[in-house]
Amino acid sequence: MPEHEPEQELGPKIADAFQHHADTATGLQARGMAAEARRRVRKRRQALTIAAAAAVVAVAIGGVWNAVGEPSQVASSSGDSKAASGAGSGGFKAEEPTTAEGACPADHPILKAGGHVAVPAGTGLDLQTPVSGLRACRYRLTPGATMLLGQERFNADVAQQVVDAIKVLPQRNPDLPVFRCTPKTAQPSEAIVLRFDTAAGVREIWVEYDGCDSAGFFTGTHTYGLYAAPLKFFMTGTVRPTGGTYLDALQGW
Amino acid sequence: MAAAEARTGPIDFELWVTEKADALLRFAYVLTGDSALAEDAVQDALTTACARWSRVSSADDPEAYVKRMVVNAHISWWRRFRRREAPAADPVRTAPPAPDGTAARAEADAVWALCATLPDKQRAAVVLRFYEELSYAEIGALLHCAEATARSHVHRALAALKTTLSKEGAEDA
Repeated sequence: MPEHEPEQELGPKIADAFQHHADTATGLQARGMAAEARRRVRKRRQALTIAAAAAVVAVAIGGVWNAVGEPSQVASSSGDSKAASGAGSGGFKAEEPTTAEGACPADHPILKAGGHVAVPAGTGLDLQTPVSGLRACRYRLTPGATMLLGQERFNADVAQQVVDAIKVLPQRNPDLPVFRCTPKTAQPSEAIVLRFDTAAGVREIWVEYDGCDSAGFFTGTHTYGLYAAPLKFFMTGTVRPTGGTYLDALQGW
Repeated sequence: MAAAEARTGPIDFELWVTEKADALLRFAYVLTGDSALAEDAVQDALTTACARWSRVSSADDPEAYVKRMVVNAHISWWRRFRRREAPAADPVRTAPPAPDGTAARAEADAVWALCATLPDKQRAAVVLRFYEELSYAEIGALLHCAEATARSHVHRALAALKTTLSKEGAEDA
């Protein structure tokens, strides 16, 4: 049987049926369709215009709110793997809520510890622990004027690179200068707290690079000498100090 | 179409709709099998056409362009609403045999009723083939499928219709 036989047999019947019903169709209302089409197009365009205007107003309100809002003392920005090369995103942003998970606490123990090597028990990072993220918090430790100076967020890759760079360091960097300090000059003016995300929660490494008492990475149980290799991963953007007693003696951070 | 071919300037949308609305509605009615669905499909297509009328009116065949929109609107409904409906496994003859001997009309009614039970894409392919007299390549382009698929839709529909008509014919005899 030829393949086209059903088409030849039924085709004319189907065409007749369609034609018959198309010609005798009742109730089809053709009037006003053009006007209705124009009305719908106008309505769509009005809706689009209103939506666009609403978006513009929302953006404008947001801009004004940011402009007139209370200026924040805290600089904050996010970093990613590019930050590792020193390309910090920079710029001041509104203060992040200190209660948010991973955000730098405004009232951190390092402010009371005065910069001494006093990582609270149980909060230090075991450098063998896998880490999934890092927030670096830079604090001013000047008595009476302590504050959070800035914070940066880093992804898991950067966090692990920081840990890997620290754990191979010796306990002390012999190339750093040694000072005779009075208690007053021993006090660092600032320090950085590295807050790592781990499966057990946030664990910290304190980084000291100023004053004249001690310098290095402190986990509470271990001390690692201050070297540039780990610093260059996280000292970016608002977490990058302008200098420090020991930093001034280091190259490449 | 002659008016469109003879035009020297842009076609007026209102005038064009006045001329073509009836044909578009008949096509949509055959395509959907339902007056309300037909009107909705044509209105949606005309709204889309109105929004881009300069492009539509400058096409070689604006009517074919808008019919394509009607088909797309109908296919869109399938996607949105008719997916929930259980498809009929086989065509079922719903029109009773004509008792008064008007065989031709009765047969047309029967074929129409049977076509209403076809799966949507098969029905669309059959309408485009036998009402619009399009080639399989054109049908495939309209239904967003390959030419072979369009041919398959039509042939499956014809096979189902033939089987049902033969069965019903034997029962009537």
